[in-house]
Amino acid sequence: MELLKISKKNFLSFVDKKMSEKKSRIVGVIQKGSHFVFDDLQSSKDLRLDYDVTILPPKKYFQPQKEVMLKFAPKNVESYVAVNSYDPITIFGIHYYDLAAIYLMDRAFSDGDGDEHYIKKRENSLLIGSYPQKHFKQRFSRSVVKDQYYKVADLMLVDMGDEYVIEVVSEKGKNYLKGSQLKKNTYSLKQVEEAKTHIKDDQKLPVTVDIASEFLTRNYYHSVWKYFGDKCFSCGSCVFVCPTCYCFDVCEEIDLTLAAGQRIKVWDGCMLENFAVVADGHNFRRDRADRFKHRTFRKVKYLPDRYRYFGCVGCGRCADACTADIAGPNKVFKYILEKQ
Amino acid sequence: MAETYPHKEVIEKTSIYLPEVATLREKRPMTPFDTYFSFELRDHSLGHRPGQFAEISIPGIGEAPISVSSPPATDNRFEMVIRKVGTVTSAIHSLEVGEKVGVRGPYGTSFPMEALKGSSLLFICGGIGLVPARSAIKYALEHRDDYKNISILFGCKDPAQRLFVDELEQWKQRDDIVFYETVDTTDLSTYLEMSHMDLSYRGPVDEWKSKKWKDNVGVITTLFPKLDYVDPRETYAIVVGPPVMYKFAIMNLHDMELSDDHIILSLERRMKCGVGKCGHCQIEDIYVCQDGPVFYYNDISYIKGVI
Repeated sequence: MELLKISKKNFLSFVDKKMSEKKSRIVGVIQKGSHFVFDDLQSSKDLRLDYDVTILPPKKYFQPQKEVMLKFAPKNVESYVAVNSYDPITIFGIHYYDLAAIYLMDRAFSDGDGDEHYIKKRENSLLIGSYPQKHFKQRFSRSVVKDQYYKVADLMLVDMGDEYVIEVVSEKGKNYLKGSQLKKNTYSLKQVEEAKTHIKDDQKLPVTVDIASEFLTRNYYHSVWKYFGDKCFSCGSCVFVCPTCYCFDVCEEIDLTLAAGQRIKVWDGCMLENFAVVADGHNFRRDRADRFKHRTFRKVKYLPDRYRYFGCVGCGRCADACTADIAGPNKVFKYILEKQ
Repeated sequence: MAETYPHKEVIEKTSIYLPEVATLREKRPMTPFDTYFSFELRDHSLGHRPGQFAEISIPGIGEAPISVSSPPATDNRFEMVIRKVGTVTSAIHSLEVGEKVGVRGPYGTSFPMEALKGSSLLFICGGIGLVPARSAIKYALEHRDDYKNISILFGCKDPAQRLFVDELEQWKQRDDIVFYETVDTTDLSTYLEMSHMDLSYRGPVDEWKSKKWKDNVGVITTLFPKLDYVDPRETYAIVVGPPVMYKFAIMNLHDMELSDDHIILSLERRMKCGVGKCGHCQIEDIYVCQDGPVFYYNDISYIKGVI
């Protein structure tokens, strides 16, 4: 992989230049109150690459909270037409664990019957990643993410103090850098590696990621599920902030004019009470403990079985969002180990 | 002022969510809640195999997964029996012949009719479980010589809820298959309580008030003793019914020494997208819409709460 470097000052000019070119929508991490969010950049000055975590992961650009899939005129079946809305988009500063999550989403939406609504959005995106520069008390990414983030990143920024080292991951990323004031990298690989990892996680998965699935399967009937399930409010916060939760509901809406309608995908989640209800009202996951178990197993076993990589990227957002303080998957492992 | 994104809306020609158009050609009520529909696609056959389902939609109301009830066809028609349980199925019930619906599919796995050639088949169908099972039953009857013994057990709540009554009568008359049926109860008084409800069709309720049910009364497992010896080595059971039925049917099949790889079931879940994405139909690591709805029981028996 080619390594280049650029001064921070020149990097900001590069971002400004890209914004003025208006060839793509430019998104980055900005501060919002005391938190950080991904949003459209107004100026490179707003870009905060020193953030701890964003409220929502960047999945919202590829699977919007509400997404129109079909348009139609009510009662006219012939009028169904599939639509998609996207612009070329460049996103600055996606932490490596969120990139790992995008890799999982890519697999989920392109394996088997590919979902063009997602795939087209991704094809028109350029992802510029980074490594955390600030502690976040719930994060345990280092113990669950391997190097799968390189499969989706186009460029990675490594903060060296006054400069960034840029890891040029893809051809698309390389082309994007044309015309910027880049220099050859002069840092040693060891220095770069140190800069990528010097912020240590405050948490870790208590077992190694390779045995996690087997470990949980052995504890399928453990009291942990009821213990955490009993505390759950079924509010769904954990699944909505999760970068690897992509489940959705399909609904239809009619305009107030009654002249036009649309079929939409909206975020949905297995922690919500009615997620597994069927036509006659039977709920296949009626108990909170069953829903809690399903979500945890989905991250630890079902997604890895399908897509090889661990389904939780350790971002810590769920643990932060959870009012009952039960959502972090690492907590389940901790509880089981303590009770053994 | 920030620009509003996105500003590009494009037409997707090949969306997996885009339905085709089918026309309702025939419609007839079957029970107080269930109506038979025959749909026709414009220029091709649905191309389904027995046991698969399709998503049927009404613009402005929504979409619902429905089992196909007819065997594979060479023409563009396919049949469904739809129970009125929600907004989409109610809207389908109110369609007139000649009106149109959206169709996506077929989706899911099918009953392995090819692999079962040369074996005996034992169908166990409860209530509207007969709807998907009928596609396999009719297929087996069309290819009668490919199979050894064919036995069909059908049970429903009461005589007014029997489906495909003409066909049940034909099956009863045939001497190359075994057919037994039962009802849980002959008491139709519950329909009086439902008089406030908009029952699609009161015909069979009124009919059975004046007629006496002479056949078996009891749950479907009370039909098992009527069967002659079932050879567990050459018999495959195809079980389709409400969740409560599976447990007891499987217990009885185990008593007959059928192994789990000789038991084939079709499961009901809420298939919202039909293409293994939305997560609604997921049971543990399985997506019912893609890995099912038809399963060999030995592939799923390890899952708690699967039936």
